[in-house]
Amino acid sequence: MLNTDTRPRRARLSPRISAIVYHSVLTAVSLFFVLPLVWMIVSSFKSKREIFDSPFALPTSLDFTVWTNAWERGDLGVYAVNSVITTVASVSGILVFGLLAAYAFSRLKFRFSKWLLLPFLLGLLLPVQSYLTAQSRLLDAFYILDTRWALILPYIGLGLSLAVFLLKGYLDSLPRELFEAARIDGAGDFRTLAQIVLPLMRPGLATVATFSVLSAWNEFLLATLYIQSDDLRTIPVGLLAFTGKYSTDYPTLFAALSIITIPMVGIYVVFHRQVINGITEGSVH
Amino acid sequence: MKSDRVWTPYLLVAPAVLVFAFVVLLPALLNTGLSFVDWSGTNQMVFVGIDNFTRAFRDDIYLTAYRNTFGYIALTLILEVAVGLVMAGVVTMQGRRTAFYRIAFFVPVMLPMVVIAVLWSFVYSDDIGLINTALRSTGFDALALVWLGNPATALIAISVVSGWIYAGFYMAIFFAALQRIPTHIVEAATLDGASQWRIFFSVKVPMIRPMIEIAVLLCVTGAFQSFDLFYVMTNGGPDHATEIVTTYLVEVVFRFNNLGYGAALATIMTIVVLALGLIFARIRSKVGGVDVEY
Repeated sequence: MLNTDTRPRRARLSPRISAIVYHSVLTAVSLFFVLPLVWMIVSSFKSKREIFDSPFALPTSLDFTVWTNAWERGDLGVYAVNSVITTVASVSGILVFGLLAAYAFSRLKFRFSKWLLLPFLLGLLLPVQSYLTAQSRLLDAFYILDTRWALILPYIGLGLSLAVFLLKGYLDSLPRELFEAARIDGAGDFRTLAQIVLPLMRPGLATVATFSVLSAWNEFLLATLYIQSDDLRTIPVGLLAFTGKYSTDYPTLFAALSIITIPMVGIYVVFHRQVINGITEGSVH
Repeated sequence: MKSDRVWTPYLLVAPAVLVFAFVVLLPALLNTGLSFVDWSGTNQMVFVGIDNFTRAFRDDIYLTAYRNTFGYIALTLILEVAVGLVMAGVVTMQGRRTAFYRIAFFVPVMLPMVVIAVLWSFVYSDDIGLINTALRSTGFDALALVWLGNPATALIAISVVSGWIYAGFYMAIFFAALQRIPTHIVEAATLDGASQWRIFFSVKVPMIRPMIEIAVLLCVTGAFQSFDLFYVMTNGGPDHATEIVTTYLVEVVFRFNNLGYGAALATIMTIVVLALGLIFARIRSKVGGVDVEY
């Protein structure tokens, strides 16, 4: 093909220089994303004076006593255990209840199935604030406010809409013959679920699990409104209480932030593909 | 397919339906009812008709909250969606290895919002803050402001944090969409002598337009519901300069114990978000599945 474009071409940079420029720009952008986190870790090893005077200097020594201090004084262990219990319980609920319902909605014919499915669609769109006020009174009326259930049940409710629709979507795409063959072979619904659906749904379940784990682990609004007892608090709320108590003890606060952040970033680095997939697919569904 | 037993389907959907009804559906219905009463949570409920709604439209703080929310939405559209789109364009330039950057940009998305909010209040802090200490040590003392305490800068400062969190998220979904453009289209444009930027804006961006529309709506509805950053960093202050719909709602309900009025504010918000969500659903059904494979 002849190039009929006669306009003067801009001089092209040599590939080598353009590569250097390209990667410098992207490194600078990456720094903007990573710098606050690096500053957080570095500052935990400094005195308040050093943080103030030389924000970019490396610490003179790596003294981890401030980290152990933060862990103990901040009750971070208690908060971590609470977060684990709440997250595991709510995500298990979302996965089990979500898969059972998705299977029924996708594969079985029954009366009122459309009407039973419709509310979950509404749940995808409703902001949590739109039912927060009534929800808190309802939980109070059942005496479960300020217990673990006050978070576990709402988290399951929040996650179910996505789980039902995402898993139903995956199930809808499986060939019908698969289920009919199982039926002819005499498999009941529960055996079909356990031996055919479960293995095939691993990717879908992984997406839902990733999204739900992060949502529950990071949730703050309900956790701060529904839990008053300090020994039931999850990490986000506990951390905030801690910052309130030690508002000027910056090295300790930086240590606490680092203790929470580093394990998460570590897990992310290992499972980044899974995490990015889970969050993006869960958000865009 | 028929089930082997009549009651099996109901048994299967029962746990999900019951939990969902108890914590979402029933509260959503009750909340609508609460919008029409005056109630502190302990006293006698009084039916007041639409008083709560007329009061909302005369409530200066509430109107300010909407103005701030829309300002925040506009800022996040630029700092999250537009920046994310440009970043996606940069990392999909031909012949570049970018996996490292893409992983780095996404780090803030998975961290707890509260941790980020606390960290960034330190970044913005007047005495130990990263920004002000950096400005002072390079001689720009005059530029060192009380970022979160100044009504002129507080909303922008929070929006920057929001951009720091979500620009990488929007980059990721745009990246996934860009990866699906058939290579022969890009190759054809390259043969015609188009520059990489030209190809990005004239060929690639129009092709991922459905994803951009979804991103815009996701950003708008997300910004509407954001709470954590505002609550932790400024709690609506200074002087309601960062008061948004959700922070005001929580204050009305949980601090002033004005449940009826709070419920009405929530109902108004729900109508706005649902309207946006329905547009979202329409676009989605128009373009079909938009599953993102990263």
